[in-house]
Amino acid sequence: MFESSLCQILFCVLAALAMLCAIGVVAFRNPVNSAMCMAVCFAMVAAIFFGMGAQFLGIVQLIVYAGAILVLFLFVVMMLDIHDENHSSKTGWHAVVGVLVAGCTAGLILKAAISLPGATDTPCPVKTLCTSAGELLIGDARQAAPQPVEAAQYGGALPELSAAAAARMENPSISAEDAAKATSISDVKLIGKCLYTHYNIPFVILGFALLSGTVGAVALARKIRKD
Amino acid sequence: MDAIINWYNDLMSNEIWFYLIHTLLKLVLMFAVILAFVVLSVWIERRVAGWIQDRPGPNRAGLPLFLLQRFGSKEKQPLKNWLQFFGIPETCWIAKLCTWLRLDREIPCWGLIQPCLDGGKLFLKQETTPSYVRKFYFILAPMLVLGPPMVAAAVIPFASEVNTCYGTISMCVANLDIGPLWIFAISGLSVYGLTLAGWSSNSKFPFLGGLRATAQLISYEVSMGLSIIPLLMMFGTLNLQQIVQFQADNGWTLLPLWGEGLSWQRWAMMLPLGISFIIFVTCVFAEANRTPFDMAECETDLVAGYHAEYSSMKFASFFMGEYAAMVIGSAVVVTLFLGGWSIGFGADAALSAYCDWLAVLCQLIMFVIKLLAFIFFFVWVRWTLPRFRWDQVMKLGWLYFLEITVANIFLAAAVLYFIK
Repeated sequence: MFESSLCQILFCVLAALAMLCAIGVVAFRNPVNSAMCMAVCFAMVAAIFFGMGAQFLGIVQLIVYAGAILVLFLFVVMMLDIHDENHSSKTGWHAVVGVLVAGCTAGLILKAAISLPGATDTPCPVKTLCTSAGELLIGDARQAAPQPVEAAQYGGALPELSAAAAARMENPSISAEDAAKATSISDVKLIGKCLYTHYNIPFVILGFALLSGTVGAVALARKIRKD
Repeated sequence: MDAIINWYNDLMSNEIWFYLIHTLLKLVLMFAVILAFVVLSVWIERRVAGWIQDRPGPNRAGLPLFLLQRFGSKEKQPLKNWLQFFGIPETCWIAKLCTWLRLDREIPCWGLIQPCLDGGKLFLKQETTPSYVRKFYFILAPMLVLGPPMVAAAVIPFASEVNTCYGTISMCVANLDIGPLWIFAISGLSVYGLTLAGWSSNSKFPFLGGLRATAQLISYEVSMGLSIIPLLMMFGTLNLQQIVQFQADNGWTLLPLWGEGLSWQRWAMMLPLGISFIIFVTCVFAEANRTPFDMAECETDLVAGYHAEYSSMKFASFFMGEYAAMVIGSAVVVTLFLGGWSIGFGADAALSAYCDWLAVLCQLIMFVIKLLAFIFFFVWVRWTLPRFRWDQVMKLGWLYFLEITVANIFLAAAVLYFIK
C-alpha cells in the first residue's frame, strides 16, 4: 500500500513537471530555452517509465532522445545562432487549428490507452486517468469500461510486463505460486524476446525505413561535385 | 540498552526501512569514495607525469609539523625522538626506511596534500563572471558536467553480496538490470554541460571548444555502445552484479584461466572480445576528454576551450568533472573486462564460504587496486601519446571504429554460433 501510494505521488509530480516543461517548449521565445525544456521533459518521461518498472524503456528514452537527438538540436540551434522569435501577431484562426489538432491527437492517444488489453483492470495510473475521463465524458465509469477486446485486433497479444511473467519466461516449468512471488522484472528480456520473435519483420522493415531516411539526408546534405 | 537493540531490530526487520538504510549508507560511501578518487587521481596524474618526465612532481606538500607541536619542530628531529621512544637503534633498517620515506622531515604524504591545497586555492580565488555571458546557463553548465558521472556510478558493483539476518545486501547502490545502459545514458548527459558552457560563455574560443566537445562525445558514444555488444552476447545479461559474478566463477573476460574459462570456446571468443576491449577503452578516453582526445580544450588552438571564461570553483567543477568521468570510465572498464571486484582463481567462493564480510572487504580492496591500476594506465597514455588532429579524431570515430564495431558484432555472433 505504502509503495503504491508513493508511486502514485511520484507519478503525479513527474507528470506535472513533464507537462510544465512541455508548455515551456512552446512558450519560450529563445530556441535554446525551448530545447532545454524539451530535454528536461524527456528526462521526466524517462523517470515515469522508471517508476512503472519499465527500466529499459526509460533508459532508451534517455539515451536516444535526451542523449543524442536533443543534443543535436541544441548543436544546430547554437551553431546557426538563431535569435529570439519575432512577436508575430497570433490570429484566432491559428488557435482554432491548434486546438483541433491537439484535441484529435489527445483523443487518439486516450482511445489507444483505454482499449489496450488490461489497461483498465490493473492498478496503473492509466486506469485512474481512464475512469476519471470516462466519468467526465459519459457519466458512468462502468458503462465506459470497455469489453475485453480480442487480442487479434491489435496484431497479437501484448507481452505481459510483470514479475510473474518474467519469472515464467526465465523458467517455463515454474509453478504459478512461485511465479507470483517473483519481484524483479527484467523488461530488457521481455521486450527483446517479443521484438525479435513476434515483431521481427516489422522491426526490420522499420530499420530499413530509418536507413532510407539517413541515406536521403546524406544525399541532400552532400555537395554534388561537377567533375 | 535493550530498548535500543529492540528498536534497532524492529527498524531493520521492516523491509522498507532496511532497504532505505543500507541504500543510503552505500550511497554516502560511494559518493565519498568517488570524490576521494577524483582527488587521488589528480595526484596520481601529477606524480606519474613527473616520473615519466624525469622530474619530482608535487612531492613537498605534507602536513607541516607545527600542527603537531608535541612531536617537535623539524629542528628538534622528531624521527629521532620517536625512535628513542620505542627504543629502536638509529642504524636499524626501520630507521633507514623511515629516512628514505622522508619521515625525518615532516609528516610526509608524498605530496598527497597537494590536491587539497589546490582545492583550497581554487576556493579562495576571485570569482569573476564576465558581463557578456548568459548567466543562467553559465552557472548551470559546471553542475551538469560534475553531476552525471556521480550519478552514473550508482550501478557499479564494488563487492559481491552479503547475507545478513535481515536480508541480502547487494554491494552496489542500485542493482539495476540495465547496468551498462544506465552508465552510457547518464554520462552521456554531461555533454549538455560542455555544450552549454561553450555557448553561454558567448565568446569565440569557448564556443568552438563546446562545439568540438559535443561533436566528439556524440561520435564516440555510438562506437562505445556498439563495442560492448559482443560482451553482452556472451554474458547474456545487462545486470553488472551478475556480469561480475559470472566473471568470478568463469574467469575474467580478458583472463579466462579458471572455471569454464579454460574451455576452448571461451578462448575462441577472445578475438571479438579483444577487439571490443581496444575500441571500448579508446572510446572511454574520448568520452572523458582525455589526451589524445582533448580536442575540446586544446591549448594551442583554443586557449582553454569551453572553460576559458570560468574561474574559481566553477572551473574546479569542470576539472573535477573530467577526473570523475575518468574514474567512472576506469571503473566500467574494470567491471566489464577485468573482473570487477572478483579476486579470481576461485578465491571469491572460498572466501565467502568462510565469511561474507571478509570476502566483501577483500573484494573491495581488489576493486580499488584494479581501479588504481587502470587510472595509472590512463595517465600513462596521456603522457605518452601526442594529441590527435581534429579531422583525425572524427575520421577514427566514424570511418574506422563504427565499421569495426559493427563487423565485430557479426564476428562474435558467428563465433558464438559455431562453438555452441
